Amino acid sequence: MKPVVDGDCEGEVVLVDQYMSFLGEVDPVRGIVKTEKEEISVEGKILVFKGSRGSTVGSYVIYAMKQYGRSPLCMLVKEVEPILIAGCVIAEIPLLVVEEYDDFAGTLKNKNHRYVRYTRGSGILYAW
Amino acid sequence: MYLTPEQEAMLKGEYGWSTAKAMEIIVKVGESLGAENLVKIVHAHISGVSFSNIGEHGTRFIRDFYEKGGRARVYTTINPGCVDYSGLQSIIDNSLINAQKDIDNALVKMGFNPVFTCIPYWYRPPSPGEHLAWGESSAVIFANTFYGGYTNREGGPIALAAAITGYTYNAGLHLSENRRATVLVTTAPDIDRQVIGAVGLWIGDNIREITVIPFAKHLTFPELKILLASMAASGSHAMSVVPGLTPRGTYIEEIEEKIVVEKNDIDKYIGDEYPRGSLVLGYVGCPHTTLMELMEVARLLERYGSPRKGRLLLTIPVEYTERYRLLINRLKSKGVEIAAGTCPVVSRLRRKYDVVVTNSGKAAFYLRKIHGLKVRITGLREVIESVYA
Repeated sequence: MKPVVDGDCEGEVVLVDQYMSFLGEVDPVRGIVKTEKEEISVEGKILVFKGSRGSTVGSYVIYAMKQYGRSPLCMLVKEVEPILIAGCVIAEIPLLVVEEYDDFAGTLKNKNHRYVRYTRGSGILYAW
Repeated sequence: MYLTPEQEAMLKGEYGWSTAKAMEIIVKVGESLGAENLVKIVHAHISGVSFSNIGEHGTRFIRDFYEKGGRARVYTTINPGCVDYSGLQSIIDNSLINAQKDIDNALVKMGFNPVFTCIPYWYRPPSPGEHLAWGESSAVIFANTFYGGYTNREGGPIALAAAITGYTYNAGLHLSENRRATVLVTTAPDIDRQVIGAVGLWIGDNIREITVIPFAKHLTFPELKILLASMAASGSHAMSVVPGLTPRGTYIEEIEEKIVVEKNDIDKYIGDEYPRGSLVLGYVGCPHTTLMELMEVARLLERYGSPRKGRLLLTIPVEYTERYRLLINRLKSKGVEIAAGTCPVVSRLRRKYDVVVTNSGKAAFYLRKIHGLKVRITGLREVIESVYA
């Protein structure tokens, strides 16, 4: 894995296994991701998802989540783009790229792992 | 990352807090994308300026840059806000005007051009190979694909930072070798160009790579705008290649995969049929209408009187209200609602409609998600008919 915005990252995982537009698919006031099926709270969690799509306003939505105190603790993704990085930079939320994302997401699902831990600069991601 | 002495001085704060903070954002994002240096830009386009989307915290973020001395160092344009500046309509809720004014004042006083449109290329069409720092996903993909300009999908804060410093990080689509299209997309012959917005939503949802889309060569300029905007909404497409249209030398074509979009693929993006008697909001202008579309709407409306099944909303750049006043008056006389400098995606609507009928895939994507509206995608003529016939 590769830190993009480096920082400690430890806590309970929430997996939203898709790309998402922070504008439209995230409610920053409630700290909720809206998928086609359900609403998922990501506040204080480790948000695992594929990456961002859609609006360039997304950066501000990430920033707003943090300011409202509703943001995830950190984000683990398959790929990054400027919209997502800028949002995490200004909101100071750690952002890590998991290069073997598909395996990782599969493991979380199959083995029912619910927690991860990464220490800044270590390069190692633990899941259990 | 290598910085010139000038850029170094900016980062150290010799140009003030705003420039330093802006440079810090660009350098951090650039480093994480592996940029070795920065690149000078000729045009920044600022997205993330609508109060209904960025709220009080986004407003504070922007105002900080203004209050602490940030000023434009390059030609900069502004995306639509959440209020209508024309007074020619009753669809969009203007109650947030004071909150929006706080944002607008900061942007204008920083020296950004108050065009309030998502088609900045109407003001300054990029030249092939020019470096830009544009927010607004639909404008980014249009700049790269149609004009051969070089820009990434800059998040709103990066575009702002680039406007203040005059630079952005040299990575992604600023580097020719990354402008490599590898997936050839064709459409089944029975797919109608009227639902080109739905085709774009499918591509955005299902393809990650840069695409080659030969079928787009046969589209009109407004149709191409709609196709590309929807690809950038449901996906993270920043460019595509239309052979014969995308300027040569601004892309590399190395096809590794071929994909055919079938008619039944796009059904779910088009949306359901709606019952007779529904209250319809017909919507044209996402991205903002071109002159050609306005003229086409006026022509299509010639045979009709006033709206019968709901309202028809057009969204346009602010400047059109003066520049094309006669045309706008003609549309108004048919009961068309015209909002300038905003659109339903970045604003709030005054009332509920049973269904929105639009030619825009991007509008469909966001109106469904943000406002929870039922949306049906169809052609321009059918949008008019849905309200007037």
